[in-house]
Amino acid sequence: MADQTYFEDVKEGQELPSFTIAPDKQQLVKFAAGSGDFNPLHFDEKFPMLKAMGLQDNIVHGRFKYAQVGRLVFAFAGPKGRVKKFGVSYRGMDLIGKPITVKGVVTATRKDGGENLIDLDVWTEDADGKKTTPGTATVILPSKG
Amino acid sequence: MADVFEVTDEIKAQYGKETEPWVSEVTTTSVRMYARGIGSTDPLHYDVDYAKSQGFRSIVAPMGYVGTPVFHPDTNDGTFGFPRRGGGARLNLPTKGLLDGGTETEYFDYICAGDTLVETSHLAEVKVRGNMVFVTNEAVFKDQATGKVVAKQRLTSIHLG
Repeated sequence: MADQTYFEDVKEGQELPSFTIAPDKQQLVKFAAGSGDFNPLHFDEKFPMLKAMGLQDNIVHGRFKYAQVGRLVFAFAGPKGRVKKFGVSYRGMDLIGKPITVKGVVTATRKDGGENLIDLDVWTEDADGKKTTPGTATVILPSKG
Repeated sequence: MADVFEVTDEIKAQYGKETEPWVSEVTTTSVRMYARGIGSTDPLHYDVDYAKSQGFRSIVAPMGYVGTPVFHPDTNDGTFGFPRRGGGARLNLPTKGLLDGGTETEYFDYICAGDTLVETSHLAEVKVRGNMVFVTNEAVFKDQATGKVVAKQRLTSIHLG
């Protein structure tokens, strides 16, 4: 987990530290085991539905990408903060082995009900910069005071 | 393109109709397996002593974990793992394809190993766009020990006709 970020240090427009992954078949099989989703679309390159969809390779689970966005916001919240809400839409497919970059940017800082809230735009993007999993998040951060 | 499905009053009448509850134990093993599955190396998901030193009850379930079903061979879908249970809405949806449309989770507390969650789910909304039927279900997760709501999750599936 990253060092603690405090509410007073965050500014609108600030980018969260991004990271890039390129999940291989072994990683997606591990995710299938951890999540319970064994849809062959994600690990069997001979699965007939892939051909029907015009694809040559397996698709990364949407929920895998959701969890990557979760890693981003969890690290940003730090041990003294908390992720209040995060959601994404699965707008584009990412294929196995291809790079996926996970990003976020602060859209607002506000106080509500005694909580220090940070609103974020979050997303994954493919190698062409297309946002395949756009969404939003709200994180509670501690105050220095 | 004409819509392949009609959201009738009968369907709308099923909005909010709850499923039977589903109980899931959150264990150190299930949390670690999920963390490994997403490629995380954060010790908060693996090391109980470290997690406690940071103020957590035990290792923390990664964001996205909530909704991971406990598997029972008599009741769960063998491929997707989700439980088949009584109650809830019954829809006769198109079957040419099924895609995940989106996921949104609101947390009221972090979920940690040792927690037991009781989940109920209900149909929240059905929308149609051409050959795509968007079905949104909302699940509510309560801590079995306290009865407190710890998370709400909206899941949208896209059924192709």
